[in-house]
Amino acid sequence: MKVRLTRGTFLKYAFTYSIALSLLFMGIRFLQSRSWFLSVFFTSSACILIYLYTFHKKVPAKYLVPGVLFLVLFQIYPSFYSGYVAFTNDSNGHEISKSQAISTIVENSNVPFNNAGPVIFKVAIENNSKKLFLIFEYPKNSWWAGNSSSLEQLQVSQIVKSSDSSIEKVHGFRLLNSNETEAVSGDLGDIQVKLKSGLVLQAQDLQTLQVFKPSMVYFPAKDELVNVESGVRYHPNNNGQMVSQSGEALFPGWKTTVGWRNFTSIIHNADIRHPLLKVLAWTFLNAIILVALGFLMGLCLALIFNSPLLYSRRIYRTIFIVPMAIPSVLSVLVWSGLFTAQTGVIDRIFHISTPWLTDSLWARVAVLIVELWVTFPYMFLICTGAIQAIPNEIIEAAEIDGASPLKVFGLIKLPLVMRTVAPLLVASGAMALNNFGVIYLLTGGGPTFPNTNGNAGATDILISYTYKLAFNSQEGSNYGLASALSILNFILIGLISVYGLRRMKTMEGVN
Amino acid sequence: MACFALFPLVWMISAAFDVTGQISTQQLIPLHRGLANFTQLFSNKEKPFFTWVRNSMVVAICAAAMQTIIGASAAYSLSRHRFRGRKLTLTTILIVQMFPQLLAATTLFLIINTFGKTFVFLGLGHQLPLILIFGGAALGVNTWMLKGFFDTIPSEIDEAATIDGAGHFLIFTRIIVPLAVPVFVVISLLSFIGILNEYLITSVILGLDGKNMTVAVGLQQFIYGQYGKNWGPFTAGALLATIPVLALFMFLQKFLVSGLVSGSTKG
Repeated sequence: MKVRLTRGTFLKYAFTYSIALSLLFMGIRFLQSRSWFLSVFFTSSACILIYLYTFHKKVPAKYLVPGVLFLVLFQIYPSFYSGYVAFTNDSNGHEISKSQAISTIVENSNVPFNNAGPVIFKVAIENNSKKLFLIFEYPKNSWWAGNSSSLEQLQVSQIVKSSDSSIEKVHGFRLLNSNETEAVSGDLGDIQVKLKSGLVLQAQDLQTLQVFKPSMVYFPAKDELVNVESGVRYHPNNNGQMVSQSGEALFPGWKTTVGWRNFTSIIHNADIRHPLLKVLAWTFLNAIILVALGFLMGLCLALIFNSPLLYSRRIYRTIFIVPMAIPSVLSVLVWSGLFTAQTGVIDRIFHISTPWLTDSLWARVAVLIVELWVTFPYMFLICTGAIQAIPNEIIEAAEIDGASPLKVFGLIKLPLVMRTVAPLLVASGAMALNNFGVIYLLTGGGPTFPNTNGNAGATDILISYTYKLAFNSQEGSNYGLASALSILNFILIGLISVYGLRRMKTMEGVN
Repeated sequence: MACFALFPLVWMISAAFDVTGQISTQQLIPLHRGLANFTQLFSNKEKPFFTWVRNSMVVAICAAAMQTIIGASAAYSLSRHRFRGRKLTLTTILIVQMFPQLLAATTLFLIINTFGKTFVFLGLGHQLPLILIFGGAALGVNTWMLKGFFDTIPSEIDEAATIDGAGHFLIFTRIIVPLAVPVFVVISLLSFIGILNEYLITSVILGLDGKNMTVAVGLQQFIYGQYGKNWGPFTAGALLATIPVLALFMFLQKFLVSGLVSGSTKG
């Protein structure tokens, strides 16, 4: 096909190719950092984009693919990744790979190597890189210039000594005088020079270095760490940690797969199971009560404000939309102020003293009130829509046949409204299961149950409990367990959605 | 009922102008009125309100635009083209829509953390990854609603345009998009507000300190602060943040109600 290079096509190609090239670049960088999936994803995205927008085929794909790529990266991949993390012990203390963990253990095991005695050093700045280097002689007659990231051996010819055999000049470096050395003393403490033998040198004061020797040595062939001082041997256990025979574990551990352990611990570990069962019960109770009450409120309001008798119903409708229009993060925080016990506005208006937010029962009531406040406008709107969609003839026909208003409502209006609204109610129920914002901001899930894992509380729902386990726990973050709970949540939502889809039968009649 | 609906808003206004900043003594019409809360809010260097507003605007506008564009182009191809796997795509989108992104918040955090190790600007504490994450939700959020609307635009119009020699891109940008402007307004507004309301992912990705916070996450600091709850500046800030959104909502109320109901009752 002949391509005419107009300004439009030029811009198109310039735009697509620059995006594709940057994706390709990112793919290569992720390859270097060993993020395999991300690397494959970005590289293949780049190829797909170039293919799609170069050839004049596959028109629908041109419009769909950008969205699909985003969907895969930020929604589908995270979901599957949760599936993977749920089978690992990813948590504080287990975030790095095994080789990283072992080298950290070895580095942290340094003990002073007293055979060496103090080593005299000078501070210098390299002429080319302008970086700080320590110049020292260890062992005798071998000279080094090193810092935390690099180490080079100096030739004897590079060094000029003064009459009292102290170093006067080093070629390629500028030695600092004592004032300058004092000025950089803060940086000196951070410099660790590591020799090939594994020995580490670190400044003790402004003149001498202390030599350290790692007390742990790793033997890859046997996959064991040996403490050369005490002779204790450490072997990896199945939880990503090096453990001695007496049970002493070394930190940090590493990330490893642990099979179904996160899931079985939900069942077997009473510290997790007890709060989780309560949390699950409240998750469902909360969703069901909220949807039922919200729907009732919405329906009543819709019936009242739909009757043409009522004057100024437009104004009321506008007022009812207000809760939808205030950013809910802010309105929920405002509610939390209103609910302050005794001094709060609500208690003062009604002259009561209710332990809102500190008593389990009242905290739940408070959560429900706020959730209702947030949701009833939506319920009102969908009920209004459903009622207005009922043809007038049906109701007139029923009235002519002598049906009482109650019967008209119970036998005609309600079933018809339910038919349109039921799938939306199921969807709202599924949403209510994950009503994180209200609960987290109003009560923080509290008041907490005593002695539980991850501080589960009376108003915690599954998603807020998960969040606490992952980011907010006093026992440290446990991403593995949190992901296992996310999987549980996925399954719950999935079941409800399947039920909802069956009811909706949305796919019927879609062309 | 009207009292119930307006109650927090009224209290927010009254507390914002009450200079005592104490909830325990507060009256409906404050005894000591003044703008002290606002000056306190604006002058706080550690809690830069205007930076937060700018952050919120950047995130919400970019992400809403992204969601609308991605959703619209996907909806266009699903509404106007017939291709293999179309029905499967529609079903998949419907199913994906059921699973809110916040379920995977833990793993999104871990993924963005890995991003940040290779590309700093895509890491935790930056706004770009947050915008991209919201872009990832676009297909699930808007596509069905927009497709439903595009279906109502008679296809004779674009057939005529095809005969006149217009390509698919021209038809999309010159015919479909102009005809669907009201729907775009509704959809982007809903996205915009949805993003402003999002708390979990925003706080996880941006973190709870630093100058990258959004208004919603930032204002919270006033009342979760170490030195007691500071309701005065909080309500002042909340009021300022609410007014524009509220005004926008009231102004576009008609579109919104019809859009919501038609979008929802059709499924």
